[in-house]
Amino acid sequence: MAFEPLLFELEQRRAKALAMGGPDKLAKRRAQGVLNARERVEYLLDAGSFVESGQLATSYRPEMMDRSPADGKVAGFGAIDQRPVAVVSNDFTTLGATSSVVNGKKIRHVRNVATSSGMPLILLGESAGARMPDRMGAAGRAILGQDPQEYLRDRRTPWISALLGSCYGSSTWYACLSDFVVMRKGATMAVASSKVTALAIKQAVDPEELGGWKLHTAVTGLVDVAVDTDEQALDTVKRFLAYLPSHNGEAPPLAPVPDGSDEPIKDILQVVPESRSAVYDAREVVSRVVDRDSTFEMKPRFGKSILTALTRIDGRTVGILANNPMFKGGSIDVDACAKATSFLVLCDSFNIPIVFLVDQPGFLIGMEGEKRGAPGRIMNWMNALSLVTMPRVAITLRKNFGQAYLNMGGGRNSDEAAAWPSADFGFMDPATGVNVLHGLRREDDPARFAELMEEIARDSAPWPLAGLYESQAVIDPRETRDYLKSILRIHSRRPTGGVGGHRLQYWPTSY
Amino acid sequence: MPTVEVPSPITGTVWKIVVSVGDRVAEDQPLVIVESMKMEIPIPAPEGGIVDAIKVAEGDTISEGDVVLLLRTD
Repeated sequence: MAFEPLLFELEQRRAKALAMGGPDKLAKRRAQGVLNARERVEYLLDAGSFVESGQLATSYRPEMMDRSPADGKVAGFGAIDQRPVAVVSNDFTTLGATSSVVNGKKIRHVRNVATSSGMPLILLGESAGARMPDRMGAAGRAILGQDPQEYLRDRRTPWISALLGSCYGSSTWYACLSDFVVMRKGATMAVASSKVTALAIKQAVDPEELGGWKLHTAVTGLVDVAVDTDEQALDTVKRFLAYLPSHNGEAPPLAPVPDGSDEPIKDILQVVPESRSAVYDAREVVSRVVDRDSTFEMKPRFGKSILTALTRIDGRTVGILANNPMFKGGSIDVDACAKATSFLVLCDSFNIPIVFLVDQPGFLIGMEGEKRGAPGRIMNWMNALSLVTMPRVAITLRKNFGQAYLNMGGGRNSDEAAAWPSADFGFMDPATGVNVLHGLRREDDPARFAELMEEIARDSAPWPLAGLYESQAVIDPRETRDYLKSILRIHSRRPTGGVGGHRLQYWPTSY
Repeated sequence: MPTVEVPSPITGTVWKIVVSVGDRVAEDQPLVIVESMKMEIPIPAPEGGIVDAIKVAEGDTISEGDVVLLLRTD
């Protein structure tokens, strides 16, 4: 039958593609405890769900066609927990998964289908950057930039990046554009490799210092979370995805409420100190308010005076933005501003309501912040907050001072505001207030000073604010979980099925 | 094991030093408590390690960025 030799050839070519960079290179990776491109796809996706796109693609250069299985990037479509997704997995054993014409077309196609078909796009990064000699010279220029939307982030479906090795070029660019980035410790991400950088600046460069996990999780904030293994990274990708809808036209999926979720809130009064001067870890409050074990922290090592987490309340995804007094007394610095802004963009873009848990003494004042443009960051945050169309609920736990009162959902910047009886809506600390307003120092007239402090404290208590209907409720801290359950149900946006207006979908990905 | 400087994140007064040289500490564990903005604010360990040297004393006035402690990290 004439088909036989053709089918045999097909089998040969498929086998060659599946062999990637060859048994030696694959064995080396296995010995290092690192998965290869296809193993990663296998681990990530539901068994048997992978439909590869372009398995038989190769380099366009004749001399390279035989040595470039799948042109170095394994791409296609599959499912995670039965939800359709698109995936691009870099094959480092094939020419370092460097970028060139054909694999560029592949990424473009998979990315466009992910958008038009409403699927999350998952990028498994490990790439050595641009391919040489393809990208050299004027001819090299001509193959670049053929897709004017290559680096456009329109947040129509979630993009998630896992950095699983040396990441230069496309792995890095897509990570910067992604909604969530997880990095395996030991992997690196930078504009250029430490070798190239060392050549350019003529001094030794430590790759970890240039682009390791500590830099990116704590200093740049470009990476959300760092883990120890490929498998943990892929598990984290799946965990993040479970909080989000598949595309921005639907509400996030519901999850069952674990037993005992209503219990932890009962001891909340033991966790928040009565003394104004004492601090606590906001995680202790968040974990008591949300469904059991449902807290997924974003950027835990960055901008720590604010905690941002995807959580669930009554099975529904909720974004929580909480000041954390444990760090800098909860005062809000430049990094925390960026972290808060990017979280608002994520939640609003994917139809997730936002809850502010407020306990902050104001923006952090100082030289460091000013050098980094603190006022600009504060305004970025206000600008983004003004564009949010998903429900916003603000609960003031203790302090809520200054301009930051607005950034944390004050006034018309939230849809519902509530307060604990311990709430303090001052503009500044009462003692400083007496100084500034009455020109009086404590040592000059201690009795009068105490009287004036009392007055200021009285005016800052939650009762006058509730009296003016600026906050719609004052609640017992132990009622916080029930309050949120009810209020979020009330603000369900039924006419649109829980879908927001997406005015932040084009917001920049870094700032 | 590289030694890192732990700077104060805020301007204030050193209120309490809660570790000693040689102590092993975990990431985020409080090292020094600073009084600022009428609050007792802990300076947390940036990562796990061993306290190598303490550069301040209780009562010292410190500025944002002043090194309070040296940590030999893992």
